[in-house]
Amino acid sequence: MSDSKSGVFPVAGRFTGSPVRRSEDPRLLTGRGMYVDDIRLPGMLHAAFVRSPMAHAVVLRVDTKAARSAPGVRAVFDGQEMAQLAKAGGGPLGDMGGEGVESPIFTVLATDRVRMMGDPVALVVADSRYLAEDACELIQVEYQELPAVTSAEQALDPRSTPIFANLGSNVLQGPTTERFGDVEAVFASADRVVTASLTQHRHQNVPMEGRGIVASFDPATGELRVNASTQGVHGVREALAAQLDIPLEKVHVRAGDIGGSFGLKFGVSREEVAVAAASLKLGLPVRWIEDRNENLTVSGQAREESFEVEAAITKDGDILGLKVKMVIDAGAYPGVAPMLVGTIRQMIPGPYRMEALSFTATVAITNKASYVAYRGPWASETWVRERLIDLISAELGRDPMQIRLRNVAVRGEPPLRMVTGPSLAGITAQESLQRAAALIDLDSFRERQELARQEGRYLGVGFGTFIEPAPGPRDPDETPSEEEMEQLRMRLELDGTVTVFTSQMPHGQSHQTTLAQVAADHFGIPFSQVKVVVGDTDMVPMGFGTGGSRSATMAGGATLHAARALRAKVLEVAAQLIDTGPETLNIIGGMVAAEKASTRSITLVEVAAAAAAGDRLPPGIDRELEVNFAFDGGAGGWSGGTHCAVVEVDVETGLVRVERYLVVEDCGEMINPAIVEGQVRGGVAQGIGAVLLERSAYGEDGQFLSGSLMDYLLPTATDVPQIEIEHLETVRLDADVNFRGVGEGGMIVAPPTLGNAIADALAPFGVRITEQHLPPARLLELIGTMDA
Amino acid sequence: MKPPAFAYRAPESLQEALSLLADHGDEAKVLAGGQSLIPLLSLRLARPTVLVDLARIPGMASISESDGWLVMGSMVREGHAERAPLVGRLAPLLSAALPFIGHPAIRSRGTVGGSLAHADPAAELPAVALATDAQLVATSAARGKRTLPAADFFRGFFETALETDEILTEIRLPPLSEGTGVCFQEVARRHGDFAMVGLAASVRLANGTIADAHLALTGVAPQPIRASEAELALIGASPTKAVFEEAGQLATRGLTPPSDLHGSSGYRTVVAQVLVRRALRVAALKAGADYEELDSGRGDLR
Repeated sequence: MSDSKSGVFPVAGRFTGSPVRRSEDPRLLTGRGMYVDDIRLPGMLHAAFVRSPMAHAVVLRVDTKAARSAPGVRAVFDGQEMAQLAKAGGGPLGDMGGEGVESPIFTVLATDRVRMMGDPVALVVADSRYLAEDACELIQVEYQELPAVTSAEQALDPRSTPIFANLGSNVLQGPTTERFGDVEAVFASADRVVTASLTQHRHQNVPMEGRGIVASFDPATGELRVNASTQGVHGVREALAAQLDIPLEKVHVRAGDIGGSFGLKFGVSREEVAVAAASLKLGLPVRWIEDRNENLTVSGQAREESFEVEAAITKDGDILGLKVKMVIDAGAYPGVAPMLVGTIRQMIPGPYRMEALSFTATVAITNKASYVAYRGPWASETWVRERLIDLISAELGRDPMQIRLRNVAVRGEPPLRMVTGPSLAGITAQESLQRAAALIDLDSFRERQELARQEGRYLGVGFGTFIEPAPGPRDPDETPSEEEMEQLRMRLELDGTVTVFTSQMPHGQSHQTTLAQVAADHFGIPFSQVKVVVGDTDMVPMGFGTGGSRSATMAGGATLHAARALRAKVLEVAAQLIDTGPETLNIIGGMVAAEKASTRSITLVEVAAAAAAGDRLPPGIDRELEVNFAFDGGAGGWSGGTHCAVVEVDVETGLVRVERYLVVEDCGEMINPAIVEGQVRGGVAQGIGAVLLERSAYGEDGQFLSGSLMDYLLPTATDVPQIEIEHLETVRLDADVNFRGVGEGGMIVAPPTLGNAIADALAPFGVRITEQHLPPARLLELIGTMDA
Repeated sequence: MKPPAFAYRAPESLQEALSLLADHGDEAKVLAGGQSLIPLLSLRLARPTVLVDLARIPGMASISESDGWLVMGSMVREGHAERAPLVGRLAPLLSAALPFIGHPAIRSRGTVGGSLAHADPAAELPAVALATDAQLVATSAARGKRTLPAADFFRGFFETALETDEILTEIRLPPLSEGTGVCFQEVARRHGDFAMVGLAASVRLANGTIADAHLALTGVAPQPIRASEAELALIGASPTKAVFEEAGQLATRGLTPPSDLHGSSGYRTVVAQVLVRRALRVAALKAGADYEELDSGRGDLR
């Protein structure tokens, strides 16, 4: 690492690259975190919602009379009253229909129709949540039940009742087909075509902290102050201003500590808009904290996709091309599903060479919770591809690792480009596959597996590999839009410390540590003297917030460049004060010192004071020791890796034990290895949950069956094994910034890794696994011990 | 998920608690640890008007021995029982079952009596009480004490023989005969969950054959059940894999276990058979059965 401008640079990587202890830890680990639920305002009222007990019904009548006079009740809003105060949609999520998609028309609280179980119908504001819930029970709603559309298959049937009248059908988008390469020629030249129907089941984010908002409107100033649990404060501000029709500058949004999100908390939900509208109407602070039942039932669900795949292969195991047909079950209200089509399509070839792809997508609307982003929202591409490779291997009687290595794209062998377009510059997929196979010692595992089978024990090994554009190599012809740039502000304070203002909204990613590490190194002060400010629309720069594994590159890079720019400014001022050239100066440990011992050194406090006063500086010198930097991501690059699981299946009970779990990964240069590993482990835990435990289950009538944590099962400490992690040396594509995102990869590739391991364990039974969720009862059905 | 209003009473004597129950009848609910009741209140699935908390009544959490019987106050915390050497010595089946209940935090608050009186159809302790022929002492203000054998105590889905004015005050487990081995096993989706199927088993061997066997299943019926037919068939038999496999078949004959999200009726039936075979094997080994003989013929389970 070198600074091209001055030739002198602080010791590289003093903090960056080390497992610096998180500055968030003291408050979070001692219960001193400040979450939205910890906010207490004078006169604050509490909200609760009346929700639909049916999946699909016409709302005939809402009688709120008894509730309005119940003890402690301050206000009740039905759908019609709320429609006068706020519009639905219009925020970032409301517009996520995707190109060419007509937007469904609906209201903040249901007026004419409920479209999913838990759909909000009325809002009660009372002196306590207890009293609000008591009053909710007094609200009489008359419904006329409609046939529930509970699967994409039903939704695609033209006879299904349209869930949104203005759309006329339950097909939101498609079928649309895109082709890359000469698909027909590739299939004509294939030795054989392997087909599979692969599904991914509905499961969901389940952050420890659900959604929540405290909205406080001051009628005297016309200002709305909001505390939110969100992944980006500006998105909340913009959505509230638009949906409540108030000037943007009158809305102030803050967020404190966030208890997880995994993609759920972007923009504002209908409930949050309703609560803010209630505050506006009442002129008092109103608070709503989502409870676990609401969180599981209505906050959003993800992942429900089905695929019909054909793979053109040669007899030697070369994968020539794919034909893929995907259907997404997008649930009831607009979410991210249509937006994901393009990403899934682009990513499905993964790190493998193939010459052709045909991809057809359909997005269906159903009477289930809305489709939201969940950690690696496009992950079905990895599930489908990595499971398919094992199915191809089984058909050819070859080891899946051989097939992977045969097809993986290798640096130095053109064309190093996915058939869908993106460059594969810098990928290390081959290295990660080889390293994982070596670490697991595949040959000796096969011997152990054989011996175990003779004793009636069924062990299996599975691999999965992925790449993630976090942010992906930059196409030189492409200029990022202003929204894609990452803005960052940094300033030297009068006390000699540095403050970083970022639009990142950490909810478990530890940006207050990682960005401080980068700033400390590149500015030249101790880590403890950098403060990272997040979560306040009055203070942090515009930006989308935290998501899509973008912070490491985008905010890490913006911090690096801003720190260098601020350092250059500080040195300019210091050079004036000690009468020397800035190129001879350096900042080390909070002091500005020259290389030559003869020159005196001064403190950053002195520099800051002199810049503020100005009297010791010549005119024309820039005295503002603050920089605003917009980073375009630099050259970018891939994150990626290979995971390997060893499992044992108890074939009499269907229980699966994960005996060993190994991760070989490349997320570029690590800012903080401990935080990287935490992200990987958390993702793998969620992947284990997806395969073995977690399912958002619905009955045939659209009733949601997983509304408590006794029904929706999350992995606990006893379900997650020790996860071994090895980091690969990365390929640097950028001169300065080679940090890459690592938030989503674990969750993207763990499901196929486990599915492949379970399939391998059950190979003696001829089991063919095409579904992602494999609870014990299902495994017994697949094994054949039990009737389906 | 906030409960409707209720009155909370924390009497400091059993008499006071009993008279509260006598006064409020089925409007009152006894709080004995609260690990099941509090969530039911929050979900508004239970709506008592008065909660009578037994936590402040002295003397209800003692563990003692009487003529070889283990005698426990109903307010003994599950975690306390789990760590009590006396429980391990006198009631190894109870000791074996306790770690399957929830997690340490749950066992720190949950009570032995609370679990029995709640009578969840998939809970562990009711099966242990049934398998060990425990005696349960119910006390009321009007009628004083009565002792119920476990076999008469569990009456159905969350239903016991307790009257609305009665409190389960004491649990007595009989001494174990010499040559008895015990085993508790369960299959749950995760450790700490209620069992899809659980089994409390004990086997007494005499001269190499089975002299007595107790099998109590949980999770397969509205209440825990004894597999009497299988128990009878085991008496006089040799402890072999084939015998245990047969016992599994007998134990599930005529059963129609419930279906839920986590496992169908068919799944529970299959797993109950497996657990009977496995638990009998472990219990027999602990009772002194010959390991080699028991495991001969083991191989591919298919």
